[in-house]
Amino acid sequence: MLDIPLQVWERVKAGVLWKSLFRHGYPDSRKNQSLAVFTNVFLHLHPVKVRRHALAIPYTWCMGGLSFFLFLVLTLTGTLLMFYYRPTTEWAYSDIKDLETVVIFGQLLRNMHRWAAHGMVITVFLHMIRVFYTGSYKPPREFNWVVGTLLFFFTILLSYTGYLLPWDQLALWAVTVGYEIARATPAVGDEVSFLLFGGYQLGPNALLRFYVLHVVALPLATGFLIAIHFWRIRKDGGISGPL
Amino acid sequence: MTAPRGPQPFPGQEKRLRLLAFVRQDSVVRVDKRVEDTAMVWPHLLVIEFIAAMIWSLGLFVISALFNAPLQDHSTVDCTPNPSKAPWYLLNLQELLLHMDKGLAGVVVPTVWLVFMAAIPYIDRDRSGIGHWFTNEIGRRVTIFSTIFTGVIVSGLIAFDAVIKQKYPAIGWPGYAEFASQYFPGGRELIPNYVIPIFLMLALPFVLVQLVKRLFGGGTREWMIAIFTGFVVTYVVLTVVGTSLRGPGMDLYAPWSLPETHQCFAPRP
Repeated sequence: MLDIPLQVWERVKAGVLWKSLFRHGYPDSRKNQSLAVFTNVFLHLHPVKVRRHALAIPYTWCMGGLSFFLFLVLTLTGTLLMFYYRPTTEWAYSDIKDLETVVIFGQLLRNMHRWAAHGMVITVFLHMIRVFYTGSYKPPREFNWVVGTLLFFFTILLSYTGYLLPWDQLALWAVTVGYEIARATPAVGDEVSFLLFGGYQLGPNALLRFYVLHVVALPLATGFLIAIHFWRIRKDGGISGPL
Repeated sequence: MTAPRGPQPFPGQEKRLRLLAFVRQDSVVRVDKRVEDTAMVWPHLLVIEFIAAMIWSLGLFVISALFNAPLQDHSTVDCTPNPSKAPWYLLNLQELLLHMDKGLAGVVVPTVWLVFMAAIPYIDRDRSGIGHWFTNEIGRRVTIFSTIFTGVIVSGLIAFDAVIKQKYPAIGWPGYAEFASQYFPGGRELIPNYVIPIFLMLALPFVLVQLVKRLFGGGTREWMIAIFTGFVVTYVVLTVVGTSLRGPGMDLYAPWSLPETHQCFAPRP
């Protein structure tokens, strides 16, 4: 009975389509394991080999990878949420209500986005702590630490701009605190708050600006910095470890 | 006589140029990757990453199924909740706002801190201890010391501020703000909002560093650990106080007697 599926499977693997997708055999040999990593667009972020300490969870906490994982989750759930959300003061709140009551799995989708956003702030913070206490910012990784600091800042900004979008009381008044802080910027407070919030009080302009920042500008900037961060990990000799 | 091989210099520019330079060892990346010390990414690292991603996916899914994201009533500028709180990860800044000038707390302090954070590897250049938690035993002890030092000082300052802002007519204390208005040059602005906070934010780290140098004989890495730990502990203490201990009027309450936030509308169950 099993012969037929096995034969089909062998024919698929011998076919042109399969070979155009995978240019190596099953990764059960050193050669194929290497090929599986560096011929795959997603896996080639990794080197073919890593030092053993890089596998130790008590050392890495997996926090860098999990931060990236949450960034991907947020990108996916955020894209789906965009189908149901209009960033205007007339529709924003009712769209969120509809999402919770009308859209199938809409509440779950929103919950995942919200909790993943909180989670990412925590994981990025913990990653920063791990990197510091293991001395992983030291030469030659100085610049990557700077990029990481910027990524922490951008993570906070991403979360903060998303906070206003439901346009409920919690959102409005939480963001008002930030608005008051921006206005208190020495010398250029009014200009900074006008630039960020589009006016002298939180209204439609602020909602639109936060939306554009949240779904376009900040994710692009963060993605750009993540790319540099990963690239520098490779160029600086991989995950840090004892010399 | 035949001409030398390769590109010929232009007439009058026969000076030879060296195309090789001596590169100091420090400026290049030396990766010490011995064969016996390495593992194949496929499958060893990818398995770990896959399991971590699965566990977190499952955890996120369960949390999202059990707990709904908050959604209150439609926003209105006519109704200010008491207290109005920033998102939890910015409540540390909001806590600072209670103790100093807004611009100082919300803009200058975080900016200076971010710049300092970015500058850490350019100050601490010694490569020894990379890959070891806290560098060594001294680093671990410095971390514990700084955690206790900062935790006690920051909590104490918040408590002290809460006590002196109250009025005590029995002993003739009019409250800190009123006292400052009457007796401080510059009233309740200059000294309470600028001089004292700036002095404390400079003096306390300085004292911490001096203590670490004296008690542990620490170098750059050790005092950097002390300062960074101080930041982490301050961040956590201020966040916890802002989240769990601040009630109406941003006054301090015990966590078990924290009043409900005053809303114009009924909060969603």
